[in-house]
Amino acid sequence: MHDTVWFEIQGIPSVSIASSVFGQAAETQRKALGMEGARYVLVPHPIQDATDDEMRAKAREAFDQIIGALRDA
Amino acid sequence: MSDQKPEFILKDLQGAAHHFDGTGPALVCFVKEDCETCNIAGPVLQTLSQAYGDAVRFLVPGQSGEKNADFAQRHGLTMPVLEDAGCKTSFSWDFEIVPALYWIDESGAVVTHFEGFVRDDWQALSDQMASATGKAAAQVDWDSLPAWRPGCGSKHFDPEVYDALRAEAEGSRLRARKVEVASGDDMAEFMFDQGFSDGLPLVPPTPERVIRMLEGTHRDPQDVIATVPPNMGPATVEKIAINAVMAGCKPEYLPVVIAAVEAVCTDEFNIHGVTATTMGAATVMVVNGPIVDKIGLNGGLGALGAGNRANATIGRALRLIIRNVGGATTGGVERSVLGNPMKYTMCFAENEERSPWEPLHVERGFKAEDSVVTVFAMTGGPVHLVDQTSRRPDQIAGSLGQGLEGVFLPKMHNLPIDALLVVCPEHINTLTVDGPYSKDRLRDRIQQVTARPLSEMVQDDHSGAGIPVADAERMGPEKLAQLAPKFAGKEYIHIVVAGGDAGKFSSAFHGWATGEVGSISVSRKIDLG
Amino acid sequence: MTIILDPTDERVPVARQISERSGSVQGVVGLLNISKPRGNILLDELDRLLTENAPGVEIRHYTKPTFAKPCPDTLRHQIRDECDFLVEGLAD
Repeated sequence: MHDTVWFEIQGIPSVSIASSVFGQAAETQRKALGMEGARYVLVPHPIQDATDDEMRAKAREAFDQIIGALRDA
Repeated sequence: MSDQKPEFILKDLQGAAHHFDGTGPALVCFVKEDCETCNIAGPVLQTLSQAYGDAVRFLVPGQSGEKNADFAQRHGLTMPVLEDAGCKTSFSWDFEIVPALYWIDESGAVVTHFEGFVRDDWQALSDQMASATGKAAAQVDWDSLPAWRPGCGSKHFDPEVYDALRAEAEGSRLRARKVEVASGDDMAEFMFDQGFSDGLPLVPPTPERVIRMLEGTHRDPQDVIATVPPNMGPATVEKIAINAVMAGCKPEYLPVVIAAVEAVCTDEFNIHGVTATTMGAATVMVVNGPIVDKIGLNGGLGALGAGNRANATIGRALRLIIRNVGGATTGGVERSVLGNPMKYTMCFAENEERSPWEPLHVERGFKAEDSVVTVFAMTGGPVHLVDQTSRRPDQIAGSLGQGLEGVFLPKMHNLPIDALLVVCPEHINTLTVDGPYSKDRLRDRIQQVTARPLSEMVQDDHSGAGIPVADAERMGPEKLAQLAPKFAGKEYIHIVVAGGDAGKFSSAFHGWATGEVGSISVSRKIDLG
Repeated sequence: MTIILDPTDERVPVARQISERSGSVQGVVGLLNISKPRGNILLDELDRLLTENAPGVEIRHYTKPTFAKPCPDTLRHQIRDECDFLVEGLAD
């Protein structure tokens, strides 16, 4: 979230993608960084043992949310 | 019993929690791994615990983090060695030296407490424990142990640990919202981003620093000193302290800042107007009295310039309070067309020692032994008044008067506007070369040398400022020949002494709108408790 | 983490606002790979989806040296100068 917050301050809409187990961490971090509105999108855990096809499916499922995070207030 | 020790829950080296509820029978001994005396006590503790451990609970809180395990291993300790993370328990138990040992009975009373290592005390303890538990006395080779070792300072007294602990313990004294700044985030940038700054870097107002700052005053942190325009934010002592930390103040400066806040937030001073005016006024603070030397305010060489922490940061703290507590941000309520550098800071002491007059605060009705801050709303200055050749008192007084012609515009006279004249020691020498030269005489002289016929103040091709032509025509030549001094009355001329001993250069601050419509200078006694 | 005390009258929440969203995604979208294994596959798929769904958007790829630390300043500045939007992933 550090980078996301930095880019937001620079005026660049940003979104951080994280696996679902990172939801709590992302939440705490954006609060700690003083930007509770910083955007993140979660994709389902697990990641490290997912197949390439499963990874692409995660991307497809999250795509609309990712675009929305960059596009919509 | 009143000396019952606070309860705690601490984890041992394996991560199991141990709850001490305040009652025994228990032997609690705080240790630090790198303390030589603790390492003398370590094997004794182990022997005692073997002898009495069935009947007495042994607990050894360590202050050394991961190294607690080294301590336990080194001495083969079989009782729980606990992690006193951040030394919170040490702080709450309130001892000074490790090893710090407590033998506590069933009721929670402390039977025996000692710090450091006095062999006879430890031996007596062992005997006491033997008789209390009915166990055989522990087999310690007492003669092999040193008679006395002083022990080490408890880790919770390390300055950075202690301040944090105290801030936490005294957290209830602080009411301000806590803002978390992540470790990877740049604190200085964060504070700029939040709009806390006057444009210069700030000292982060951590709870530790604010607690230390609050020690500078006897006043309660939640006392409201003033409500600060434009937002009418309540300036509690705590909020003032937070801003004083950011400005770089030392705790002993805080009473001056508090008095200054009180002074500027009066109806007379009208800080709202001073801040909001497009003319660009700023607060000029003059400090008098014993506090000047006590905290190192500068009234001597370079008094109006940079280089002195007290001058620089006290003025800045006041300014930050107006900005942060009052909400006066540049471009918001703060609307001065150009601004001026005094909006960062302007605070100096009067050089009372080099003054032939009673100090400003005494002139304004305070006792000499009072410490007082006086605030003026000024739009310009300090403007240098150069005269290196006058030798007679009326000459130098005349030059100082002519030097004030620039207030607003040289053409404008009869101004109901304050000026603050800062006379340097060498000019004082010339003024008083023939004997006393009173402030009032200097004021009269200023009015005398600046007197000009009203005809010179009529609007013309050189300048459209001044008396409208139509008005001048109505007045007629006789009236226009009358002389008008610079100021509408001599009470508008405020005079102090400051500066170093060498240099024939005085200075002047030029006022803003003075009086009911603008600002009236205000003095406040500094509350030193 | 460091705690500081709010110096203001606390009327305004101490919070940084995110930058304005324009209602559309155009220009250059940066995809920042934080260098955790398998993140690249997800980002490559996003590249494909963006190209397909948002024609005319230019996509640039960046890679952070390590996921464990914030992006180095030089890379941050490069991305800021080159991109209008940024997607960062994949934290796991």
